[in-house]
Amino acid sequence: MSAERPTFSPFWHRVRAMRPRLRPHVQITRQFYRGRRWHVVKDPSSNQFYRLNPIAHEFVGLFDGRRTIEEIWKISLERHGDAAPTQQEAIQLISQLYNSNLLSADVAPETEQLLQRGRDRFKQKATQQAIGIMYFRIRVFNPDAYLRWIEPIFRPILNIWGFIAWAAFVIFAISQLLPEWGRLVDGAETIYADPTLWPWLVVVFIVTKAIHETGHGVICKRFGGVVPEFGFMLLVLFPAPYVDASAAWAFESKWKRIAVGAGGMIFELFVAGIAALVWLNTQDGSLINHIAYSAIFTASVSTVLFNANPLMRFDGYFILSDLLEIPNLMQRAQNLLKHIFKKYVYGVKGDEPPTHDKGELAILLLYGLGAMAYRVFLFVSITLYVMGKLFAIGLVLAVWTAGMWFILPVGKWVHWLATHPTLADFRPRAIATSLAMVFGGLALVGLIPAPDHRRADGVVESLASSGVFFETDGFVEAAHVRIGEVVAEGDPILTLTSPQLESRFARVKGRLEELRAAEQEARGSLKHAEAQIVAERISTLERQVEFLRTKRESLVVRAPHAGRIVTQDPGALVGAYAREGQGVCEVLDDTDLRVTALLDQQEAAWPEIAELDELKVEMRLLSRADEVVPAKATRLVDAGQTDLPHAALGFAGGGSIQTDAKDTSGLLASHPQFVMYLEPRPEEGDGVTWTGLPGERVKLRFTLPSKPYLVQWLDRLHKMVQGKVDV
Amino acid sequence: MSQAITRYHALFEAVRARRRKPEVPKGLDAIAQQAIVRVKRLKARRSWLMAQAKQVDALAGDTRQLSDAALDADLADARERFLRSRADDELVRRSLAMVREAARRETGEDAYVVQLMAALGLYHGRIVEMVTGEGKTLTGSLAAPLLAWKHRHLHVLTVNDYLAARDAESRAPIYRRCRIDVGAIQQEQDPSARAEIYAMGIVYGTPKQITADYLRDQIRLGQMTSAWTGRQRMALDASGRAAPLVPGLHAALVDEADAVLIDEGVVPLIIARSRQEEELSEVYRQATRLAERLDEGPDFTIDKLRRKAELKRRGEHRLSQMFDELHEAGADPIWRAQRRSEELVRQALVARHCYQHGQHYHVVDGQVVIVDEYTGRFLADRSWEHGLHQAVEAKEGVDVTADRETLARMSFQRFFRSYPFLCGMTGTAADATGEMEKVYGRPVVVIPTNRPMIREQGPMRVFRTQQSKWAAIVDAIDQAQRAGQPTLIGTRSIEASEFLSAKLDQRGISHTVLNALNDEEEADLIAGAGRGMSGGQVPAVTVATNMAGRGTDIVPDPEAKAAGGLRVILTEMHGAKRVDRQFIGRAGRQGDPGAAQVFVSLDDELIRNHASELASFLRRTTTGEEITRHPFARRAFELAQRRSEAFARRNREGVLRQDDWIDKYLPGG
Repeated sequence: MSAERPTFSPFWHRVRAMRPRLRPHVQITRQFYRGRRWHVVKDPSSNQFYRLNPIAHEFVGLFDGRRTIEEIWKISLERHGDAAPTQQEAIQLISQLYNSNLLSADVAPETEQLLQRGRDRFKQKATQQAIGIMYFRIRVFNPDAYLRWIEPIFRPILNIWGFIAWAAFVIFAISQLLPEWGRLVDGAETIYADPTLWPWLVVVFIVTKAIHETGHGVICKRFGGVVPEFGFMLLVLFPAPYVDASAAWAFESKWKRIAVGAGGMIFELFVAGIAALVWLNTQDGSLINHIAYSAIFTASVSTVLFNANPLMRFDGYFILSDLLEIPNLMQRAQNLLKHIFKKYVYGVKGDEPPTHDKGELAILLLYGLGAMAYRVFLFVSITLYVMGKLFAIGLVLAVWTAGMWFILPVGKWVHWLATHPTLADFRPRAIATSLAMVFGGLALVGLIPAPDHRRADGVVESLASSGVFFETDGFVEAAHVRIGEVVAEGDPILTLTSPQLESRFARVKGRLEELRAAEQEARGSLKHAEAQIVAERISTLERQVEFLRTKRESLVVRAPHAGRIVTQDPGALVGAYAREGQGVCEVLDDTDLRVTALLDQQEAAWPEIAELDELKVEMRLLSRADEVVPAKATRLVDAGQTDLPHAALGFAGGGSIQTDAKDTSGLLASHPQFVMYLEPRPEEGDGVTWTGLPGERVKLRFTLPSKPYLVQWLDRLHKMVQGKVDV
Repeated sequence: MSQAITRYHALFEAVRARRRKPEVPKGLDAIAQQAIVRVKRLKARRSWLMAQAKQVDALAGDTRQLSDAALDADLADARERFLRSRADDELVRRSLAMVREAARRETGEDAYVVQLMAALGLYHGRIVEMVTGEGKTLTGSLAAPLLAWKHRHLHVLTVNDYLAARDAESRAPIYRRCRIDVGAIQQEQDPSARAEIYAMGIVYGTPKQITADYLRDQIRLGQMTSAWTGRQRMALDASGRAAPLVPGLHAALVDEADAVLIDEGVVPLIIARSRQEEELSEVYRQATRLAERLDEGPDFTIDKLRRKAELKRRGEHRLSQMFDELHEAGADPIWRAQRRSEELVRQALVARHCYQHGQHYHVVDGQVVIVDEYTGRFLADRSWEHGLHQAVEAKEGVDVTADRETLARMSFQRFFRSYPFLCGMTGTAADATGEMEKVYGRPVVVIPTNRPMIREQGPMRVFRTQQSKWAAIVDAIDQAQRAGQPTLIGTRSIEASEFLSAKLDQRGISHTVLNALNDEEEADLIAGAGRGMSGGQVPAVTVATNMAGRGTDIVPDPEAKAAGGLRVILTEMHGAKRVDRQFIGRAGRQGDPGAAQVFVSLDDELIRNHASELASFLRRTTTGEEITRHPFARRAFELAQRRSEAFARRNREGVLRQDDWIDKYLPGG
């Protein structure tokens, strides 16, 4: 059923005798959106726009300063019947044009009204700034003179050939960059970790973004648009330049509009390409190399992530909106969501969707949902990020944005629910469903216990590991096992030869034989005293022989217990001369391993509230992430320590714990950590085997007793805030 | 204040008035304004006014001693000081004491302290609530001279022409002593007579007359936005067409402020002329016939509360067939335009189902006359807009008048907000405090009664059906009559008053009926309504619509007083509590004995429209005809009334917003 459009308006008398005229400097261009014709009325002096459908355009076209509105309306009625604007719509149209200064009427303008209008506009602008503090704009200058100067330089290449050349260059630069990909990725740490380079990063950012904006400006200028404003936008407190290229909205061809929208990215990617070539061809570590390196990232990654992203109101949004030929994409998508909500949740009848076109409807719906999800995601992640870096500012920003993005809309929603006339008949149901939703939501997060998981990193350590050492000097003759092989207790690892030992042994043994013979002789001749002396010497020699025998036995180095050969390959020692006490390798018993986990002290108050015995722990080895191995926590050392038990846990070793930047060993965490020891219990899992090797990293997931989400969130937030405030 | 107003001066003031574009604050501004009004209210709060009034009263000893000549000289001196400078509290007190003395000497009425207090309240821009019968006329005439001195021109708005003329005449001697001339605007006066009266210091008139004159001025002034351009035009145009009738808006004292400012606040006053070019009466008749062929339910639904008809798919389908038939039969080309045609039929449906003869309008001499829902009076030269009036005419089968074309329109509340100074008196303002503060920025002050009120308020009686309610009402009237008490019975519509009249005839109770059909006799009927049992006469029984004489008092005679005074019976609750209070206030005035009781039933329109769920709950949980004892019975009706008030308030706010929007965004005024 079509919406009610009453033909008459009680306020018609206010306009019927007016003889309005479009102001002479107003420009009208024609545009097509999804096959439908629209007319954009533009006031070049104030950069205001107004879009009209063909019938409204014809209606406005009749404003010649001679006909009265009444006459014009009658003409329109005769020509278009029901499709003609109703009186109410005509009044709306006239007032909007009049208030955008597009219309001059035969009435003396009222100073009061004009001043009031100016004040209102100022107020509106101020409010917008206040709401969008994440995008605070500061106007700096009018870039027209600059663009007038620079645009002719670019004019010869701002065409399809120029575009093709640009595309070829970008592809070439990427192809050059690809072989160096690994270096490209690794380089990030050195640059972003070096504070002396940070000012340069800021300069690079501002310069590339200024080039970006120049791109918009030049292309807009190229197609005849005027760019009246250049300034800085405080994007999450970071200054980013912007230009006002809204003149492009009036361009007739959608490709021209898209070109203006994409102009920034085109220029910026070109810069990224040049920076890539510079980086590849300059000496590693020089300043110019670093600058080029950061320019590659700023001009490509940020462009693709931010500007090209159509879910925020940046370039990508306008490009998408022009591509789809749906103007006001964001607003209409939101209207559609509202409509769906009103119609299906509140049961409001007679509410019109923003469009009836099926394809458009689907696009709007998809876009609306995407943008909404993105907005929430962005808010949460930006806030958490900024809070992590600059806590106080982050908190203020978060509260403010939460206010503007969530509390304000909720307030408006409540106001709308309570007062809006379209809801009049549906208010009880609307209020009931809203309350049900709010309380349902609150109950869901506030009352119903939900699994509470916490995560941490750990490293596998062996409980039984022993070093194998040479117990005698000698040449290594043969290795019986290689590194990584498993040995049983007593298995030989190496065999040594020691001619010196052998000869000494032979000598001592020979001497012993001699003495034994001499003893025999002495006893036979009954020289008892002499025999006594010899016997003493024999026992001394026997002890010596015994000693040397064990020495000989230790020429074969054996495993002290079952385990795996680690740290050194015994095979590498073959042929070498070994000295007593020198290490051979280590034997690790990998049937007896434990896991050491580190819990950031700030977030880790939770083990205090949970009994270690009841704590359910699941582990995943990084090498076999698909297998979940149960584990049991055995001990928590709840004295914070900054020494890492293993370099693998720290940033430098690829782990997730932030290490102190000044420490080179990578074993000093920047925040105190709790240490927890855990014991793998593969037998409790279903059919998993524990293959963890000492030194290997594991991801741990702890399951705490179920608690409502709200409690969990508050707990975490509390920990986060507490940690920051204490510092 | 007979200073001559030059034409230019009048024009200057008129243009200045039009350029004042009062806007009702919204959102936070509204809250801020309300807070400011409340803070202001602290200054002239009740206790302060009372203290001031007592000080004025204390001056009476001195003023009484003065000779007439000395009093005149003192008044002239006070006037001078008012004209020259800001009046301080001391001057106000002294002047009021002298005006009071002047009033006493001229009319023999000596004001009570509470009346002085009310006059001070008016002087300080309050909306003053005074219980009916506490002497509002005298109060007004005490404040008026001070206001006229201070603001140079004062408009006193009364309920009808008769009261305007009567008060202007009876108060003239007081004003004359204060050197202020006074006049009353009457319906039959011609423009030149009016212009003379508007130039006077105090002008009595009805809101309708003054607003209409002001609006006509606006049309005459055209697009003029400065008096300077007007002066040029005046020089060129010797006929004086550019000269405005109303020389600007300065100060207004509104009697029955709640009725004028709130109830009728959004009713637009429209200056219109007949549209000649289109002859549509046949179209309206055809629309009525089409509407008769549609079935409620399958074809359309009616929203009685909002007076809207909605066509269903089947109805639309059937209608388009009917339009085709009409079109083939060579009817007006308008039936070709689907939307416009449906609109006509919807309107005919609304006329048929939402507007009842006897309740919303009456047919008098072959013309449809609108009945005011608040007062029950005929609104003689008003008509509904946009063809609704024509649709009702077509439904009644009377001549369809030509559709009228609006030239200018203004709602009372917009008009009254254009006054830089506004104050008012009423019997029942306290219920509308919020709106007075928000829309008009005027605080409300409640004035205590001179003598304690001894009216006996009977409990509300609630019945299951209309029949049992009417039977109980007739019983109650009978009882009161036997006891010798005069009764005044209030009904909501002309229809209901006639119905009750028939019932009383059946019971053989002699009575008089006062409604819009016989309002010429109003004053006489009201005067007789207080008659008790004397000699062989039975006490008076008066059945009246809500109109029952605002502005005139029902004075019970000694016999009636002895029998317990006037007994007021309300046969239905009105949509606004204020109207009920106003009517009940007829009994027990000025410390007289009196009684009042309200009778309602679950079939009443109020509860049906605004709390139908409670009505059906009550119906289910009770047995028997009278359900007064049910703990929820009374509350259900009170809730329905509150909802109805809120509904009306929202409606008014909607109109307000629309008015402001139009003013802000459209060129010209």
